[in-house]
Amino acid sequence: MTSSEASPPAPLERFDPSRNHFERLGLAPAVALDREALESAYLERSRRVHPDRFVTADAATQRLAMEHAAAVNEAYQVLRSPLRRAEYLVKLGGIDLDSSDAGTGAPKPTQAFLIEMIERREGLEAATEAGLEALEDLADELADEREAIVDAAVKALESGEVAKAAEALVHARYLARLADEIENAKESAA
Amino acid sequence: MSDLRSANTLFQISEPDAGNELDRREAGRAIGIDLGTTHSLVAVAPSGAEPRALADAQGEALLPSVVSYADSTPLVGSEARAQLVESPQSVLVSVKRFMGRGSEDIDFDHPYALAPGEGQARFEVGGREVSPIEASAEILVALKRRAEAELGHEVRGAVITVPAYFDDAQRQATKDAGRIAGLEVYRLLAEPTAAAVAYGLDRGGQGLFAVYDLGGGTFDISILRLRDGVFQVLATGGDSALGGDDFDRAVASALLEDAGVSAPSPSQRQALALEARRVKEALSEAERCAVSVPALGIETELSRERFEALIAPWLKKTIRACRSTLKDAELRATELDGVVLVGGSTRVPAVRAAVEDFFGRAPLTDLDPDRVVAYGAAITADLLSGSKREGMTLLDVVPLSLGLETMGGIVEKIIPRNATIPIAARQVFTNYSEKQTGMSIHVVQGERELADANRSLARFELKGMPSLPPGMARVEVTFQLDADALLTVTATELMTGVQQRVEVKPTYGLGDEEVDRLVMESLDHAGEDFAARALAEERVELGRVVLAVRTAYDEMGSIEGLLPESERAPLVAALEGAEAAMQDASIDDAKAIKRARESLEKSSEAFARRRMERALRAGMEGQSLAEIEAALAEEDKLERRRGGHGAETIESEGPQS
Repeated sequence: MTSSEASPPAPLERFDPSRNHFERLGLAPAVALDREALESAYLERSRRVHPDRFVTADAATQRLAMEHAAAVNEAYQVLRSPLRRAEYLVKLGGIDLDSSDAGTGAPKPTQAFLIEMIERREGLEAATEAGLEALEDLADELADEREAIVDAAVKALESGEVAKAAEALVHARYLARLADEIENAKESAA
Repeated sequence: MSDLRSANTLFQISEPDAGNELDRREAGRAIGIDLGTTHSLVAVAPSGAEPRALADAQGEALLPSVVSYADSTPLVGSEARAQLVESPQSVLVSVKRFMGRGSEDIDFDHPYALAPGEGQARFEVGGREVSPIEASAEILVALKRRAEAELGHEVRGAVITVPAYFDDAQRQATKDAGRIAGLEVYRLLAEPTAAAVAYGLDRGGQGLFAVYDLGGGTFDISILRLRDGVFQVLATGGDSALGGDDFDRAVASALLEDAGVSAPSPSQRQALALEARRVKEALSEAERCAVSVPALGIETELSRERFEALIAPWLKKTIRACRSTLKDAELRATELDGVVLVGGSTRVPAVRAAVEDFFGRAPLTDLDPDRVVAYGAAITADLLSGSKREGMTLLDVVPLSLGLETMGGIVEKIIPRNATIPIAARQVFTNYSEKQTGMSIHVVQGERELADANRSLARFELKGMPSLPPGMARVEVTFQLDADALLTVTATELMTGVQQRVEVKPTYGLGDEEVDRLVMESLDHAGEDFAARALAEERVELGRVVLAVRTAYDEMGSIEGLLPESERAPLVAALEGAEAAMQDASIDDAKAIKRARESLEKSSEAFARRRMERALRAGMEGQSLAEIEAALAEEDKLERRRGGHGAETIESEGPQS
């Protein structure tokens, strides 16, 4: 496992906190990201900036490596998930789903959607009483639906309709919460 | 220490090379330590060499993780284990299960007395309190010494392995133990990741592997992706309180139930535990095994079939964790390229069968499951010492989500479980009123929705917020997890750019001051520490003798014939001298205290002997039974008060009457 000339690590560049996650990994912003390109970009950058490569360097360099590595990991965390990636693109497009600001925050769901959610909660209660199998069915159904919503958001993003994508993603968040509740109910039923 | 407690010093890190002199690493001189529940070991792989475990003088590489406080100096290893049945409450086994845990978390059977109080659970042994962190440090010191003896140079740097599923408090406790043992902990390495490194799984190019690690007290399952020298943990899961110990306990309680014993004594319990462990190990080879616990009158036999039925619930729990971890990694069992078994408990055939059944393939077992973790630690230690070793990169994850308690006790997750470390999360807090100058934040770790149901990590106060209209003060708090998955907190007020003071109070673990004190004691003042302990022990001894002699003198010193005038003056002088020595806290020489005790013992010997003779004579002179009983009771009463000291003196005189 020895290597005669362990190459000294390439010096780290200055840390630029204003870079977005795509820039951080050297990728072009895209809704449909090539998974393979993402993985190899992530591994290549991780190898380069990981703090373990700088164990004998001075404290400032170690701190810098930590900053770079944490940012690379965060970018990977967001971009690898199609849902989180879509949310992030919406954010880059000017709508922050984590904010309740009337202008730039998450759009409010329609009344019809909220009524639908109430009905679905009742559906969950009924399924909980019916037992594990009914819960499994509900979970499968919901999984398909969530995938369809993310697909719709991706399509909207591809055609530049950020507001439409944001609306779909807000719905996806409600459904995600419902999915968590179904999982909890499944665990208690098992 | 870049941990949560000293977080408020983080800002100073950018000072040029602050403290770097201390941190200089010596390439190729670091050791890898597997600090296990039942045994520990140390391995080295200097400057790119293949790893090897270091053995003791008897050729034994595995050091039982047992620390005895039965004597004045702690003993570690098999010597400590030999005292287990005799001193069941002073010999600490499986301390790893107590690391970073409060007494309210200890929900398994153990024979120890835990000291009252909050925070880190502590044992009461031999009249003092010992934290599991200190006991672990004793084990680490033993391994460090072994390595130094073998390598012929001082050892400072170490990689210590921890269960992947250890939370922040448990990791912090382990790191503190390393510091107390005089080690600079380069990394807390997850045990399954260490095993993957030892197997060199990266050398086969690309692949997906599961590492199933069942040790004495902990269980981990990690899913790793290996590619071009990068070990990337995709997901990890497990149970930091499930292991081979539980198999032993299941066997022990079945044996107890069969024998109809409901309340065994601590020493019976330890004897039973040792036998249960032996039987478990024997049943890995044999179909049946004879069981013998004379202390409990147990003579029976256990079949492998019955054993497997007893441990089935635990196995099921591990497989359930495998299933959910695969799901977290978004993989199916069939997509894996291999499964690796680690940990002594994977020798149990039923464990292997369960793993093979779930993953649908025969597991890899080429490397000794007891040593593979230490090998991986040694390789990593060598790499992190700055040695010229072919580069590999370890991308590990945090096993449990990190969250903040919000209104109504609900947790808001800020770093999800299985996020690759190091990682940071930022959260902006605002003020409710102009008068508000601070706020308190509670950090928890776990997956549950309510803060109370998770592990409390720390509470801290943000102080010195500027006085601004409601909602205008914006404090950005950064939660940084380092490569050891340890948390650091920093805060900045965004409007004014003022850095906030963060005072963090960890819920478990030792306080910073206590760790510093223990480090000082063990490192710089090893000699003084020993002297202080010797002094304290001598003082206890002297106190016992003084009390016994004083009581006897006051109650019986004037009885005719017991204390001749020629003896009275020297006895009183010795007694008063000893009492003065007890009072005088400035005496710091153990030998002086010992001399006072010996002088008192010598001048009161004859007095003690005569008192005993008088009691015996009372019996021989044909007195009434009631009188003899009264005399004996009187002696007995005195005997109890002086803690048996007088009796020892008389025995050493041989038969006198």
